[in-house]
Amino acid sequence: MEQSPSLTAAQRAKIRRLVVPQELSPDDEGGELNIIPFLDIITNILIFVLATIAVTFTATIDTTPPASGGKGVRKDIQSMALNLTILIVNDGFSIKAAGGNVAPGCTGPGVGIAIPKISGQYDFESLNACASKLKSASPDFADENQFYVTANPGTDYQTIISVIDALRVDMRDKNKTLFTDVAFKVPL
Amino acid sequence: MSSSTPGSPAISGVTRFKAELRKSIRRNAAEPEVNFLNITAMLDMMTIILVFLLKSLGESSASVPQNDDLRLPKSIVHSQPSEEGVVITVSKSQILVGDKKVLDLPGRESLAQTGVGAQEKRSGPNDVYIVKLGNALQAARKIDRRVREAKGQDASTSDAIIVADGSTPYRLLIEVLFTLGQNEFGKYHMMVMQGKEIPR
Repeated sequence: MEQSPSLTAAQRAKIRRLVVPQELSPDDEGGELNIIPFLDIITNILIFVLATIAVTFTATIDTTPPASGGKGVRKDIQSMALNLTILIVNDGFSIKAAGGNVAPGCTGPGVGIAIPKISGQYDFESLNACASKLKSASPDFADENQFYVTANPGTDYQTIISVIDALRVDMRDKNKTLFTDVAFKVPL
Repeated sequence: MSSSTPGSPAISGVTRFKAELRKSIRRNAAEPEVNFLNITAMLDMMTIILVFLLKSLGESSASVPQNDDLRLPKSIVHSQPSEEGVVITVSKSQILVGDKKVLDLPGRESLAQTGVGAQEKRSGPNDVYIVKLGNALQAARKIDRRVREAKGQDASTSDAIIVADGSTPYRLLIEVLFTLGQNEFGKYHMMVMQGKEIPR
């Protein structure tokens, strides 16, 4: 059988030369911009922004200008109104309502601090229970949603907001709305 | 001149060369590979998200930077924050109307007793009208009135957003609210941070 002739050295060299994959010149690469570093930067910024944002959900409590001199019911309230007023003092909450000053323990009319502090802290649960009790005292008070807040000059804003929160709904019956509108009184 | 016939050594050499070349090309042919990933669409999306986040956070009055000088009180109220109104910021050290500083505040003890101080009031320490704040509010009210008129809204009063630190004494709060009231600001939105329970 006749053997096919083997390739010459020149032919083998040519084959090697021809089969080597050719490098694409920058023009042949389609002009793609390498945006990966830019993408890295953007991604890092995005993650940084998301991580450093303090996710705080804010809300607003609406009110109207305070009545000067500790007086004045600015809404057209009927004569049979509760006119609940919370006075925040250093020893607790003093409460005034239609019948006058509320006695300690929210038991009826009388002098003193209606809701004293417990272990040096304001008792918001008792304040809520007292407000609920006063509102339930008469059917005439059922539609009354406004109450007044006044405080010692040094009382901090957080305590005032907490009092407003404590009077918003009945803590034992979340469906029962108490007093949602707040008005401030200028302390004398 | 002799013509080469099929099977002759010359023809066989060329044929074999071509066969070898084809075989080598086949052997070295690499799988088509993707040299780059087309991430342009993703990049577009991320850039848009980033710009949107930065813009919305910067412009929203609901976003209040929390720091030692200004820490909002916490509340159980879960309502949408009102974003319409002149923003009055009361921090531990100063009062601002919008972005403009109006007044530097004294220490807390002094604030609790006489508010911002007698020299900043109309008629002595017992007054609750802050003159510098009132002047700044007059200018803000003038602009807000024009805006409301242009929008066809009720321009008889303006709204104010109160952004105050949780430790602000009641005395100062009342002075600010009273001054607002004297400058035709009829409705206030006190900004708080939403919480789950009443803080003590």
